[in-house]
Amino acid sequence: MPETGGRELTFAQAIREALAEEMRRDPTVCILGEDVAEAGTPFKVLSGLLEEFGKDRVVDTPISEAGFTGLAVGAAMTGMRPVVDIMFGDFITLTMDQMVNQAAKVHYMSGGKWKVPMVMRTTMGATRRSAAQHSQSLHAWFCHVPGLKVVLPSTPYDAKGLLKSAIRDENPVVFFEDKMMYKLKGPVPAGDYTVPLGVADVKRVGEDITLVATSSMVQVALGAATLLEEIGISAEVVDPRTLWPLDEKTLIESAKKTSRAIVLDEGYERYGVTAELASVIATGAFYDLDAPVKRMGAMHVPIPFSPPLEDVTVPTEQTVFEAARTLCGR
Amino acid sequence: MAISIVMPALEMAQETGKLISWLKKEGESVAKGEPLLEIETDKAVMEIESPGDGVLAGIKVQAGTEVPVGRTIAWLVRPGEVPPADEVAMESGRKTTAAAVPAASAISTAASANQPASPTQSVTQSATQDVKVSPKARRLATERAVDLADVRGSGAGGEILASDILAAAESKAGASPATVDSGSPISRLMAERTTQSWTTVPHFFVVREVDAGALNEARQKLGPEIEKSRGVKLTHTDLLVALVARVLLKHSRMNASWTREGVRTNAEINIGLAMAVDDGVVAPVIHHAHKAELGEIAVQRRDLAERARGGKLRPADIAGGTFTVSNLGMFGVDAFTAIVIPPQAAILAVGRIADRVVPVDGRPGVRPMMTLTLSSDHRVVDGARAAEFLRDLTEAIGSPQQWLG
Repeated sequence: MPETGGRELTFAQAIREALAEEMRRDPTVCILGEDVAEAGTPFKVLSGLLEEFGKDRVVDTPISEAGFTGLAVGAAMTGMRPVVDIMFGDFITLTMDQMVNQAAKVHYMSGGKWKVPMVMRTTMGATRRSAAQHSQSLHAWFCHVPGLKVVLPSTPYDAKGLLKSAIRDENPVVFFEDKMMYKLKGPVPAGDYTVPLGVADVKRVGEDITLVATSSMVQVALGAATLLEEIGISAEVVDPRTLWPLDEKTLIESAKKTSRAIVLDEGYERYGVTAELASVIATGAFYDLDAPVKRMGAMHVPIPFSPPLEDVTVPTEQTVFEAARTLCGR
Repeated sequence: MAISIVMPALEMAQETGKLISWLKKEGESVAKGEPLLEIETDKAVMEIESPGDGVLAGIKVQAGTEVPVGRTIAWLVRPGEVPPADEVAMESGRKTTAAAVPAASAISTAASANQPASPTQSVTQSATQDVKVSPKARRLATERAVDLADVRGSGAGGEILASDILAAAESKAGASPATVDSGSPISRLMAERTTQSWTTVPHFFVVREVDAGALNEARQKLGPEIEKSRGVKLTHTDLLVALVARVLLKHSRMNASWTREGVRTNAEINIGLAMAVDDGVVAPVIHHAHKAELGEIAVQRRDLAERARGGKLRPADIAGGTFTVSNLGMFGVDAFTAIVIPPQAAILAVGRIADRVVPVDGRPGVRPMMTLTLSSDHRVVDGARAAEFLRDLTEAIGSPQQWLG
């Protein structure tokens, strides 16, 4: 990470800064979505953009995810670089045909004549007491579809750099922001920089166990690593940052080094991202593993509204700490 | 369905067994109950019977190989059937073999008989019966030529991990090959058991010199008849075993065991006899020695000694001892102290019979004297109890025919 001179932004501010810089840099970048303009989204991520760029480039849409997502696909095919805002990740259900059958396919079905350089920004993450229809982390769905790129930033720095790369990418990119991280502060350089898609980042160097984590689970993993350090277990935290393209090499090298791995992701554990990443590690590092690869994701239930119940559906620092300790035989 | 033949566990703490020979060839038909293979465990060579009818196939282990117990070593298949490549049927196979060796798991060595299995023991046991090896550990074992059978896993479930292989490789490299003898099962077991006893059993010793004149006379008098009727030479040891067993009837506390719950008095009197073999010592048992006639004891002692020398002791031969006699008189030893064999409470160390000048009726006289040293577990008996036992034994040695009559 370059020197930031002590400059810190929240995750939400980093997203806004990336958008603002890209909109200044490229007049074809525009924003479409519900409550994106005057409201600046319910999470206030986009506050101020309407004032700077006007309502032609920051467009409030009707409540019709399928409609404005299709609009964005068409706009991207015809020269724009739209950034679609889907308020809650749960609503991607409504956009699936546009994303899966149109955006992901057009480049291939046109023999490379068309491209769809759009970004869908949406949210994920539980424990906000938002109940079953506003708390899911459904990024695995897009990971399953060839033709889509899937990005899950875990820090303000990565959020800004990755969003800029996503906007400049010639392919449809789905960008998942954990709504519980919007207030997370971290160093962010002023001015232009990018974080390439497909390059994992080692967030913490360790020797005894690898914690592969995505999005807000990176913060959970870092917390668990601190707890583990107190009992003499040195944990390495690896953040793939993008689930597709996937930096398999960094994951495998880390697991080879430590011989043990836990994969953390807030999506449903069953048939989820953790399964894919664990498989990559088990295959690539098989002869260096000293224990089975452990997966930790969301419980296989609709996320409950009840706070005590909701809190047990996702991995926490404590559960990750316990799992890592067991895996290390302590 | 194919039946797996596994290396059976014949003794409680047995970890590996050595395949001595296959008694059937690959592809040969075998009937249930027919002798199928010979194995050597810690203390004995045993024939293992076939667990079922079928054709012997897929032999994985050749004669002379040491194998962890529970590992599949071959299969019994139907004619024409191909033996499974993997070990999926291992569990069912284990059950089959266990059934074929009735009560095998109930049999234990002299040293561990009747001992309640501690949690550590059961963990170790399950680990060796179904050894799991991490992929990394397996690779390292191959690279560093470490035999997995020699490695004890440190994983939570007994899994062999990379660190176990590295430690094994290191100790192998550190050892000087010219001077280290990893030892036979008997010598290794001897090392383990004596260490366990010496470090966990609070020993104390009571010594007494006894006049062996009457013992010599009894041997001279009873010997010829026994030799004629039983074809075996009566020894001092035979007489001592018979006398010890009969005196123990009066001293049940000497024939007892320390358990976690307290002192357990053993119902039977089974006298172990320490015997030197090529690579250490074994203590086969003369069961119910207090009821056995002198001639029977002599015959049993001779048979056990022959089997011990041939490495053919059966698990039943070495199980169930409640008190042991160790006689080094034939080596010219005057006196010595012996290590208790848990869970037994005591062991009697017998020195040679030598002519000594002792007071006889107030005047110096020459008598055949013998020194007895009783080692006892102080958790079970105290000095007074041990002394009383030794007093009665001395009296019995002074008038053996009265006790044996």
